[in-house]
Amino acid sequence: MKFRAVMIDAGPMREFTNIVSTISKLSKECVARIADDQLYFIVSDENSGPAPPILWCEIPHAMFFSEYQMVGLDDDHKDIYLEFTSTNLARSLITLKNAKSLKMKLTKKQCPCLTLEIEVPSSTSQQTRQVTHDIPVKVIPRKLWSDFQEPKIPKPDISIQLPTLKQLRTTIDRMRTMAAEVMLWASAEGRLTLQIKTDTSKVSTRFKDLRVEAFEGPIEHSDSETETQANEDKSNICYCRVDAKKFSMFLSADQISHNRTVCSIVHKRLVVLCLQTEENVKLQCFITGIVY
Amino acid sequence: MDDEMSEYYFTASMDSGKTLCSLLKAIQFQEFAVFCALAEGLKLTVEEGKCVQASAYVPADNFTEYHVRSDVDVMFKINISVLAECLNIFGSGEESSLKMYYRCEGSPLILVLQPQSVHNVMTDCEISTQTADSVLELRDEDTSEVAKLVLKAPAFLGLLADLERSCDIMELKLSPEHPNISIITYGMQDRSCIDMPKSSEMVQSFNCTHAVTLKYQLHHIRLIMKALAVSTKVVVRCSSNGLLLLQLKLEKEDQRQMFSEFYIVPLLDD
Repeated sequence: MKFRAVMIDAGPMREFTNIVSTISKLSKECVARIADDQLYFIVSDENSGPAPPILWCEIPHAMFFSEYQMVGLDDDHKDIYLEFTSTNLARSLITLKNAKSLKMKLTKKQCPCLTLEIEVPSSTSQQTRQVTHDIPVKVIPRKLWSDFQEPKIPKPDISIQLPTLKQLRTTIDRMRTMAAEVMLWASAEGRLTLQIKTDTSKVSTRFKDLRVEAFEGPIEHSDSETETQANEDKSNICYCRVDAKKFSMFLSADQISHNRTVCSIVHKRLVVLCLQTEENVKLQCFITGIVY
Repeated sequence: MDDEMSEYYFTASMDSGKTLCSLLKAIQFQEFAVFCALAEGLKLTVEEGKCVQASAYVPADNFTEYHVRSDVDVMFKINISVLAECLNIFGSGEESSLKMYYRCEGSPLILVLQPQSVHNVMTDCEISTQTADSVLELRDEDTSEVAKLVLKAPAFLGLLADLERSCDIMELKLSPEHPNISIITYGMQDRSCIDMPKSSEMVQSFNCTHAVTLKYQLHHIRLIMKALAVSTKVVVRCSSNGLLLLQLKLEKEDQRQMFSEFYIVPLLDD
């Protein structure tokens, strides 16, 4: 197994730092899957043992690394899976601010390590300093790889563009102080509603004029839970109830400069939030619906 | 539309709910408040035990539209923290216009908020209302005022923040003689005293006819700190029965004014 990658441009280095820092806020542990075309970051739900990932991030190496070499486990299993504490990587990358280059490699020290060699310019002389971080990692044996495959999800009933993440996060964070669960409604007419209900209040924030990327309607509503605005067709609306905290956590991804964020809903069952950047980084969050 | 609206007990709208929100936060030391819409303005009152009563008062001219039916009493109990969170739903950095509706007794208070900078979003909140408990009438027309002082709010806030937190009781001595104002706290093993002559920069005006010594629960006094933080000056009135009244004007950009008021009941000598 071998891995060695070099980054020399400021833009990608900043993006990479932002991505890792976002992930570190979402989860303590993280798995990096190193494949020959992409680098993946995968987070599983910490509380529920082996479960499908809740976060899936793909980073195409060509856009980020000027050099990228890897040799996988063997000829049939060409990937490398490493587990590490996400804050360790996030903290090490703080040095990356105004660095000249980053070299990342898999090394064997007292334990397997992901070694970062960061070249930092000196403010007083022409010479540079080199900062080395050794991040202990656990190599995941092949028999466990299947736990970290991309989740297979049913075809979403609707995919709708999200409002700016910052705005969404402020609203969700206010709602979170009042209720633990938030209901998401999306309609084929481009409306997205966030709603909480408690004994003392009902708060709904409605966004309109959002682009609908796909709609697989009509939606069948077997219960009376759906409430609609007058003259709105029920079959054009789907909803899902999710944990407000999980939803809010994904929204901290607003520090990654993105050009597209989409929310896909499988009626009542699942919400998939997807963020894409100009460099084709794709970050997806899977939040399962709460059904009573 | 107008006809339909006039059937409502109470409707009001304002361009920005932000200052209202900071006013509510200043008196938000209890979960529930009594919401009272009078012809002159809106008043929210919270009480702690039967010892402290705090009110936020928003004169009607702060609203772009304000309507209360004259033939009914618009008064109900409402969760003030939910109300404050709803007013702040788009974040403190955002100015959002606010509309309030209250149809009739027992119906929820409805708020509609729309941020000024973004147009494709709005929030509506339904906050349930309950029958109001009676509010204490602490003002007593028969008692006279023995002292009135005007203090700079930030400096007074700093002073209160310096007082030892573990103390239960604060003694306030006011006197026409030097030092005019003394604040004394009693702890387990110590007694600390802050003297403030009327020449102090913190004191803007000082009126006191004869010396008084009053004791208050320090915890009660501390309840005004949030309100002090958003005000420039505070008027302290002390009546002959020891009731302390603090009146604060909210710091605002425009000319219209919003107020908060705290009545604090003294401790009796044992």
